[in-house]
Amino acid sequence: MDTLKVRDAKDVEEVVRAAIANEQPLEIIGHGSKRGIGHAMATNAVLDVSALNAVTAYEPNELIITLQAGAPLSDVLSLIDAKNQQFAFEPVNTAPLLGTPALGTIGGMIAAGLAGPRRIRAGGARDHLLGAHAVSGFGDSFKTGGKVVKNVTGYDLCKLLAGSWGTLSVMTEVTLKVMPKPEAERTLLLRGLDDAAANKAMTAALGSPFDVSGAAHLPKSAFPAKTEGLGDFAGQGEALTVLRLEGITASAAHRAGSLRELLAPFGTATLIEDVASAALWATIRDVLPFAASAALGAWPVWRIVCPPASGAMLGAQLARETGGDVIYDWGGGLIWAALPPRPDAHAPAVRARANAAGGHATLIRAAEDVRRDVDVFHPQAPGIAALSERVRASFDPKTILNRGRLRRGAGA
Amino acid sequence: MAIMMPASDQTVLARRAEIVAALRAIVPGEGVIDTPAEMRAYESDGLTAYRQPPMVVVLPDTTEQVSLILKYCAGQGIKVVPRGSGTSLSGGALPLEDGVLLGLGKFKRIREIDFDNRVVVTEPGVTNLAISQAVAHAGFYYAPDPSSQIACSIGGNVAENSGGVHCLKYGMTTNNVLGCEIVLMSGEILRIGGKSAENAGYDLMGVITGSEGLLGVITEITVRILQKPETARALMVGFAEVEPAGECVARIIGAGIIPGGMEMMDKPAIHAAEAFVHAGYPLDVEALLIIELDGPKIEVDELITRVESIARGCGSVTLQISNSEAERNLFWAGRKAAFPAVGRISPDYLCMDGTIPRGALPKALARIRELGEKYQLGCANVFHAGDGNLHPLILYDANKPGEIERAEAFGADILRACVEFGGVLTGEHGVGIEKRDLMPEMFSEIDLNQQQRLKCAFDAQGLLNPGKVFPTLHRCAELGRVHVHAGKLAFPDIPRF
Repeated sequence: MDTLKVRDAKDVEEVVRAAIANEQPLEIIGHGSKRGIGHAMATNAVLDVSALNAVTAYEPNELIITLQAGAPLSDVLSLIDAKNQQFAFEPVNTAPLLGTPALGTIGGMIAAGLAGPRRIRAGGARDHLLGAHAVSGFGDSFKTGGKVVKNVTGYDLCKLLAGSWGTLSVMTEVTLKVMPKPEAERTLLLRGLDDAAANKAMTAALGSPFDVSGAAHLPKSAFPAKTEGLGDFAGQGEALTVLRLEGITASAAHRAGSLRELLAPFGTATLIEDVASAALWATIRDVLPFAASAALGAWPVWRIVCPPASGAMLGAQLARETGGDVIYDWGGGLIWAALPPRPDAHAPAVRARANAAGGHATLIRAAEDVRRDVDVFHPQAPGIAALSERVRASFDPKTILNRGRLRRGAGA
Repeated sequence: MAIMMPASDQTVLARRAEIVAALRAIVPGEGVIDTPAEMRAYESDGLTAYRQPPMVVVLPDTTEQVSLILKYCAGQGIKVVPRGSGTSLSGGALPLEDGVLLGLGKFKRIREIDFDNRVVVTEPGVTNLAISQAVAHAGFYYAPDPSSQIACSIGGNVAENSGGVHCLKYGMTTNNVLGCEIVLMSGEILRIGGKSAENAGYDLMGVITGSEGLLGVITEITVRILQKPETARALMVGFAEVEPAGECVARIIGAGIIPGGMEMMDKPAIHAAEAFVHAGYPLDVEALLIIELDGPKIEVDELITRVESIARGCGSVTLQISNSEAERNLFWAGRKAAFPAVGRISPDYLCMDGTIPRGALPKALARIRELGEKYQLGCANVFHAGDGNLHPLILYDANKPGEIERAEAFGADILRACVEFGGVLTGEHGVGIEKRDLMPEMFSEIDLNQQQRLKCAFDAQGLLNPGKVFPTLHRCAELGRVHVHAGKLAFPDIPRF
């Protein structure tokens, strides 16, 4: 298979134009860290954007950074961290979960659009992508959005590019919003709650004026004795419900106190601060209890997004029905489910439960033969599926880009 | 009218009576308006310089009626212009002579309040403020707050991706909506998203938001609600020059402080506002900042101190801090009344809406001053300084021959300057007809073609709100054609591995 390592946007145009002329679909990769997500693609050439790795402009006072799509995420995170800034949506590092090397590019981060615990407060990748340059399946470079936070000029194509898994266009350069890192963080821990009570506690916290920036629940079965980042908590054999408060030190501490009082009916919360708190939230963000190297490393993992107050019922039923384990984030609105291996990865149960709750489920980790038989991405209602296909074709009518990644059988 | 609208379809106009009758069959009673006198209320929106009576007005009150109207119009090749409360400042709801004006004013019910999931499900004709009022008893509110929030509808907010003073911290409409029910031009009814944080598949909600009524007609919206911050306090800071005021804004952001709102006014705006509301604004300063911090009291008090020290470090010449709600509201009174205040000192004004990088603020103001001299017109400036969104108010008198043309040329030059400084044509008011012909200043033909292709995916006949946003309309078949660059080698000259 050819791997074409493009050097600039012009190269991308040429490669896509040649692919159109030859009716030869392309797989688009940065570092390839998330290649295992989605269906096998019907491609025989790889367009590799990892050499498009420059930081075009970083303006901390404007709260923006413009980057080429192949810029390594870890380098960019270090760069903005040095100015005490961050991507507020907490991009998930999928490497431990997928068992891949710790790599990944900015383009991949946007194309996957996987946001961490702070999504409930700060939004997702789609909310932080201000502008993009990309090459469509017509072989043309186009731009959308801009380099300012407030902009309604023309359709907001950025929203479509975020989370499109490389099926609409090849992003070459993106402008992202960066935000100041909070001065302090405090996390309250409640122990021993069952899923339903934990969901109630998280709902109460998120409905409070205390500006909670993380609300997660780890049932006791979900974390094995040793999970990186969980430290002492892992060994104590009790479910853990955690609530994060961030901001200036006095405020985070004050709100933690107020929230502890509010949550008194659920038990006496203990408090961890700053470094310990950050490690705990990174563990939740990256789903380390289900890491490929951990006890459940061979189990398929689903990512289920649902209305937050229905999370516990959905997750608990699913765990009971399948003998699997779940972790809740986003106050119950995000469920990571590791289910015992089966050829169908329990897809019928997962999808039925998700649909009943008004949610949707993506099979993030599964062996290739499982992905051949199971829809990785949630099947949509016919009207929405048809509109989505028309939208896709409006960017890439010949289905040159990542053909077959999103829909089972479409790559054949 | 300086803006050319699509040519009227005479065959449609000739069938007007038949069309009115067909619409009456769908929406009985008073839901169809066809007399010139009654239609006058719909002939313009907030961009009042442009007026056009529609062919007929229809006011459905169910999704099924909306679907039947669109299906009928699609079948008959009739253009449709959707309208909420008609407060658009860019002419997004300007009717067409040969078009049906589809008003959503009867969709006035809040369908569900779900505090556990922190969402409200509402019909599109509900006003922005009514949503906040409906959840206020439980301490919640809907964050985006366009200055027309008493009147503007949430459906219009979604169509325009409306902002407001607080969007620096809480985001625009797009960051606060989760789902919708939408009717496509074909009449097809679709549900997108819901109470979950994210939709499955492509983010259709994201692209519908801000699409200015060109992609579909929204009949239900699910919005996120937030708990109201415990308290808010404001500082009012005057500067002898614009530059240090701009520097102050940059340093506040640079210090990691995101205020709930951060507004700037220049001298003409300060004077107009003070004469109108007597808020106690200093009259001898060149720039006035109103900076609001919100959150828990302990946090607000601390941040007020930090911002005060930054402002003094930037050479502020006046500085007041609110110590009561009454005082905070007084600080805001002048800013909030800036538009009507300017309306008192000038017979007419044009409100512009460009966004620039914050750092370009002094440069942009200097340019606006130069342009004012060139065009011999006054200009008062108010800005959402925190996010670089400018609202220059160009003063003119429509009764003086040539003044409106000069005002429009002045405005266009300001927006060109915004793009030149790295910004955009519109921060929150939308393109509509007002900025339509300036789109090529910011986008190439290829960029615009890609946007129009998306339009084709939703409305292949181009019947929904044509003449808005895009300076040139192309046929979908033409846009969809893939140019095959024949004779090219496969992947020439690219490094391989």
